[in-house]
Amino acid sequence: MRKFKPEIILVGATGLGRDLAGAVATDLATGLTADCTGLDIDDRGFLLQTRPAFGGNIMATILTERTRPQMATVRPHVMSLPAKDSSHTGVVIRESPAIDEVDIAVKMLELIDDRKHGQDVDIAAAEVIVSGGRGMMSKENFKILQELADELGGVVGSSRSAVEAGWMPVERQVGQTGKTVRPKIYIACGISGAIQHLVGMQSSDVIIAINRDKQAPIFEVATYGIVGDLFKIVPAVTDRIKELRTKNEQG
Amino acid sequence: MNPVSDLGALGFVLFWGLTALAAGVFLFRGYQLFRLVSLGRRSEKFGQVIKRALTALGHVIIQKCQFKNITREDRGGVGHLFIVWGFLFFVTYYFFFIVIASGFGIPDVMEHNKIYGYYTWVMDFVAPFIVIGTVWGIIRRYIVKPARLKGQQTAEALIILITVLIHPITHVGKIATQIAAGHPPAGLGILTPPLSTAVSHLYTNAATIAKWHSFWFWSHWVFVLIVLGMIAYTRYLHMIAGALNDLLRRTPPKGTPERIDLNDPSSFGVDRVDNFAWKQLLDSVACVVCGYCQEICPATFTGKKLNPRLVIRDIKTNMLKNGPFITKKQAPVLPLIGENQEGSVPMEAIWACTTCGGCMEVCPVYIEHVWEIIDMRRHLVQMQAKFPDELLNLFENTEQRSNPWGIAPADRAKWASGIETKPFEAGKTEYLFYVGCAGAFDARNRHISLAIARILDAGGISWGILGKDELCCGDSLRRLGNEYVFDRIAKDNIKMFQDRGVKKIITECPHCYHTLKNDYHQYGTDWEVIHHAEFIRGLIKEKRLKLNGNGDLGKVLFHDSCYLGRHNGIYDAPREVLARTTSHTPAEMKRRLNRSFCCGAGGGHMWMEESIGKRINHERVEEALKEDPRTICVCCPYCMTMFEDGIKDLKASEKVQVLDLAEIVARALQ
Repeated sequence: MRKFKPEIILVGATGLGRDLAGAVATDLATGLTADCTGLDIDDRGFLLQTRPAFGGNIMATILTERTRPQMATVRPHVMSLPAKDSSHTGVVIRESPAIDEVDIAVKMLELIDDRKHGQDVDIAAAEVIVSGGRGMMSKENFKILQELADELGGVVGSSRSAVEAGWMPVERQVGQTGKTVRPKIYIACGISGAIQHLVGMQSSDVIIAINRDKQAPIFEVATYGIVGDLFKIVPAVTDRIKELRTKNEQG
Repeated sequence: MNPVSDLGALGFVLFWGLTALAAGVFLFRGYQLFRLVSLGRRSEKFGQVIKRALTALGHVIIQKCQFKNITREDRGGVGHLFIVWGFLFFVTYYFFFIVIASGFGIPDVMEHNKIYGYYTWVMDFVAPFIVIGTVWGIIRRYIVKPARLKGQQTAEALIILITVLIHPITHVGKIATQIAAGHPPAGLGILTPPLSTAVSHLYTNAATIAKWHSFWFWSHWVFVLIVLGMIAYTRYLHMIAGALNDLLRRTPPKGTPERIDLNDPSSFGVDRVDNFAWKQLLDSVACVVCGYCQEICPATFTGKKLNPRLVIRDIKTNMLKNGPFITKKQAPVLPLIGENQEGSVPMEAIWACTTCGGCMEVCPVYIEHVWEIIDMRRHLVQMQAKFPDELLNLFENTEQRSNPWGIAPADRAKWASGIETKPFEAGKTEYLFYVGCAGAFDARNRHISLAIARILDAGGISWGILGKDELCCGDSLRRLGNEYVFDRIAKDNIKMFQDRGVKKIITECPHCYHTLKNDYHQYGTDWEVIHHAEFIRGLIKEKRLKLNGNGDLGKVLFHDSCYLGRHNGIYDAPREVLARTTSHTPAEMKRRLNRSFCCGAGGGHMWMEESIGKRINHERVEEALKEDPRTICVCCPYCMTMFEDGIKDLKASEKVQVLDLAEIVARALQ
């Protein structure tokens, strides 16, 4: 940093990135805006760092006026990928500073994979999640969700009660005591939408809820809601997608 | 005749020598235990010494410890009553008619009067009761083996029971030989002690009577002294430590852990036995291993690793083992929190507690198991950040957004978007309706908030809400050991209430109720907090609600919430409201009132997974379904969630509904 003196440093708000950005900002005695949802540069060359504040009620735009560099982190997937623009002619400089082992407080002895062999699916990273709850009635019925998920290139998630009933493994649980997910599409099948579940998925881009009970709280957060028998609806949707895909491939 | 003076000087040397020896053993061990208990840290001060002493003494004499546990299913306590009441007579007898009379060689003075006559006459009736109580105890413990005493068929218990049995037998032998020798207790005419007189006829050989008398006297006294020595080393100790534990018990609020000094890092929780308060160590010494706590504990009952009795046992074992090292300023050798060894409390047990308070309610010697468990949680959370993974969300959300789910605080007033509410303003509104997180955010419990609002309006009450400014009360955090964040939340709330001039608070949730009323009281607040069940009862009593009964509820079954019932003693209010509203006394489950069974969500368990053993809410719902209700009435948002989930899991949604008391009342409003 001290060699190149950049105006702006952007870091991905991944697990590693968050740790790194904070440490670097502290070391350089500059500001850092974490988890920005929007970035821009104004005519004075200031980085406009926009992020939700006060519980998501307002969008704050933060400037780093007096110190340099200006630093921000951005969560993965919050900004859409723009089309490739070949008119920009920046240069990527790869810098590999020599690091002395003495400077690192931590020494890696061994890398242990904490995922269970083979069966692991990281629902938190999925772009499409088809989730089932108590309304699925049995373990076997999750097959229809798997078919839909396969068709959409997504994974199957679950509510706590389905995990409790032994229908799905605990790694698939979405909600307060499970995983928090924010996929592009979340399809909730037979999930009434207890608050414990809602808080784990309500920031998904599009939520589609399928439930028999039209009073179910899941419909309060759903982008699209279908009231009806999921055992008829889900296979029908799967078939329709298949049909369209075949048509597209042919056409 | 005096078996002591009959032996001349040797008799007195023997009598006082043995007595001093036994007293010495007793005092030596007593002092050791005192030193060990003193290793504990200082804690809350307590006053009202005379009142306390009288209360504790009264409890011993009337045997409150037993009466609170004698039930139709478990009558073991009755035997204990026989023994204790009998021994109160015996101990008095020992003091006056053995220690003073024989010990000082003045039996003529002490025994040749009517008082002695009457007393021995009464003792003849007392003695059989002790025998009955003890034999009953032996049969129960070693033959019937009730679940409560599982694994308690120890040699120690048997020796104790046998030594109890020897007292009345040797006593009757002593009086009988006295009568046979022609020295009946004086001056009673026909009122000679009947049992002893009957036994006296066995002694026909005049030549050996004096020897027999001497035998019974000395064997009696030796056994008394053996018991005296045993007291400090065996479970006999509960006679003294239990009474002391009652005397020194913390004053209410019940179910509220001690407030800790956050400026003193050594008090951030307990992971060493000497970090406990001395009172908590006394608890461990007082335990009599009766097993009432393990019988009522919902965690033990459903197969979790927690058994409140074992927690107390482990603390005691740990203290006995580590005490000598700690006294010498050395490191403890046995970890307090650890797995699979006596003297260490397993982490899993610490997290399994729902803080329902059942154990504390039934404990005959007033042990506070829950407070001890919370202290260990405090250490795990605040010093080690070791807690079930799923709590991370709860801790972060509550700290950052002051609600368990991390929902935007601006959404707090959304529940009231369809009705008219006023903001609370001192002078303009009388009561603050503190909705609580569940009542504000949870879709099901929002209906209850609306029902309460409707009732308040119908009763013509002037009330307001804090709206989006309302904060979480911090109950779950405190019970999960996150005292640091709780402390901040409590101070924020108290400041806001004081700034806004809040004096009277109505709560929807028993947990908010308990926290605002009792936990915050530790911060010096004394506002009036009223749970909606009590408030509605008041409105009905003052005839401010016009109720027209309601027909579609069917059989209504009532479930006691731990934080309303056991922790705050509110049992009648909801039942009365139900009776007035439905015109029927509500149906009850087998476990009810202060022996009620937790729904499974207290103590932060609302936010935790429950994967070991049977689910607590399933156990409770099954119990409820046995009564075949159409409606289950609860008074708590947690109970509501746990019951509704359990009913869905057990596929009973078609035939039974769960309603809050407020909903039942709101439906009955004209």
